[in-house]
Amino acid sequence: MNGRRQFMAILRKDLIRELRTREMIISMILFVLLAMVIFHYAFSVKENADLTYFTGGMLWVTFIFAMLLGLNRSFAQEKDERCLDGLLLCPVDRVTIFLAKTAGNLIFLLIIQVVAVPVFTLFFVSRSYVSDLPQFVVVLLLADLGICALGTLLATISMNTRSRDLLLPIIFLPLIVPVLIAATGATTLIFAEGAGFGSLLSRVLFLLGFDAVFLVAAYGTYDFAIGE
Amino acid sequence: MSDSPDRQDGATQLEIEVEGLRKTFGRREVLKGLSFGLERGGFLSIFGPNGAGKTTTLRVLATLLTAGAGKVNVAGHDVREDPMPVRSAIGLISHTPMLYPDLTAEENLRFYADMYGIEDRGARISDLLDRLELSHRRHDVVRTYSKGMKQRLAIARAILHRPRVLLLDEPHSGLDPRAVDILDGLLMEIRDEHTFVMVTHNISKGLEWGTDLMIIEDGRIVYEHAAGVDPESFSAVYREHVHDGSVL
Repeated sequence: MNGRRQFMAILRKDLIRELRTREMIISMILFVLLAMVIFHYAFSVKENADLTYFTGGMLWVTFIFAMLLGLNRSFAQEKDERCLDGLLLCPVDRVTIFLAKTAGNLIFLLIIQVVAVPVFTLFFVSRSYVSDLPQFVVVLLLADLGICALGTLLATISMNTRSRDLLLPIIFLPLIVPVLIAATGATTLIFAEGAGFGSLLSRVLFLLGFDAVFLVAAYGTYDFAIGE
Repeated sequence: MSDSPDRQDGATQLEIEVEGLRKTFGRREVLKGLSFGLERGGFLSIFGPNGAGKTTTLRVLATLLTAGAGKVNVAGHDVREDPMPVRSAIGLISHTPMLYPDLTAEENLRFYADMYGIEDRGARISDLLDRLELSHRRHDVVRTYSKGMKQRLAIARAILHRPRVLLLDEPHSGLDPRAVDILDGLLMEIRDEHTFVMVTHNISKGLEWGTDLMIIEDGRIVYEHAAGVDPESFSAVYREHVHDGSVL
C-alpha cells in the first residue's frame, strides 16, 4: 500500500515538474520534428518515391534518440540541489523508484509519439493503416516499455559518472538494437502490408521477452545501480 | 560517548553506535576504523579539516553510503542489514536543501509526506510552514526562495516525519547572519525532541550545542570529549590536531 503511494508520489512529482518546465517534452518534440524534416530531405532521391518501407526504421531511430535526450534530463533534475539524496533518504524500496521513473519516461515517450506518429504517417506512409491500429499500438507499447525500462536502468547507472552525457548513449544504443530490429520489422509490416497479429507474433513475443528480461534485471540490480 | 559509564552499564540506550567503521573510495581509505556512540537525546558535534571524513561518516549514518567494514547502528537498527527503519528514524539537513526547485513548498512537503507515509499530511505541513514562517509562500516554487528560506524549508522536510535522529551537515554554510539566527532558533526549538549529529567548521556553535565533541582527521578520531570544554582550550586542541586554520 505504501509502495503504491510512493510510486504515485514520485510519478506525480515528475509529471508536475515537467508540465511546469516543459524541458524534456519541448526538446524531445523539437528533435522528433527536426529529424522528420531531415529524413524527408535525405530520402528525397526520387520524386513521389514510396518511403513506406523506410518509415518504421525512421520512426524508431527517431524515438530512441529522442528518448536519450529525455533520459538525460529526467535524472539531471534529481541531481539538482541533491534531490536524489532526499529521495534515497526516504524509506522507499529502490524498485519502486525504478518503476515510477520508468512509468514517467513511458508517459513522456507516449506524448511524443502522439505528436510524431501522425506527422510521420502524413509525410511517409502511402497507405492507410487504420484497420491495423490495434497491432501497431501493441507493438508501440511493448517497444516503448523496453526502451524506457532499459533506458531508466542505464540512465541511473550513468548518472553518477562524470561523463554521463557520453556514457549513456554508449551503453544504451548497443543494448537497444534488438528492440529496434523487432519494432522496426513489425512497424514496417503494419505500415506496408497491413500485417495481422499472426504474422507479428514472433516479433511481439521477442519484445515481450526483452521487456521481461530488463524488468527482472532492474528488479535485481536497481538497489546497487542507484546507490554509490 | 563510547567510553561513558552509562554505556558500559547498559543503563542508557545508545541511539547511535559505530564500531570499526571503514570506508574506501577507489584506493583511498577515507574512514580508518571509527568507533563512537551517542546516547538518545545527545548532541554530537564533529569537527575536522576538509577531507577528514566527517561528511562521509554522516552519509554512512544516513544510509546514503555503505560502510566498507564495521558495524553501524542507528535507532537500534543496522544501517546495512536493515536500512528502512533507519531511514524512517533519521532526518538530514545539509547545506544543499534537497528540495525540487520547480515545485512549490507545499508540493515538496506533500511529496516527502507521501514518501514517508505520513497520515496527517495536510495538518502537519500547515503546522510546519506556520512554525517556519513560510505559510505566505507555500504556493511559490522553491526556485524563487532565498537561501535562508530554502534552508528553513529544508528543516521542514527533514523533521516532517518526526525523526528520532537529526543529522546536520554544515547547516550554516552559505547563510547570511540573519538566516543563521533564524536557523539556530529553529534548531533550538526542536532540540529536546531529537538526537543530533552535526558536522561543522563552526567551533563556537559546535561547542555551544554539543553534549559530545569529536575531531576527525584523516579518517581517524583524534579527539573525543564530553561537553564542558572551554572554547579556548578546545581551540588549542583543535589547532594541535588540525592544520588548516579553521575558525573559532
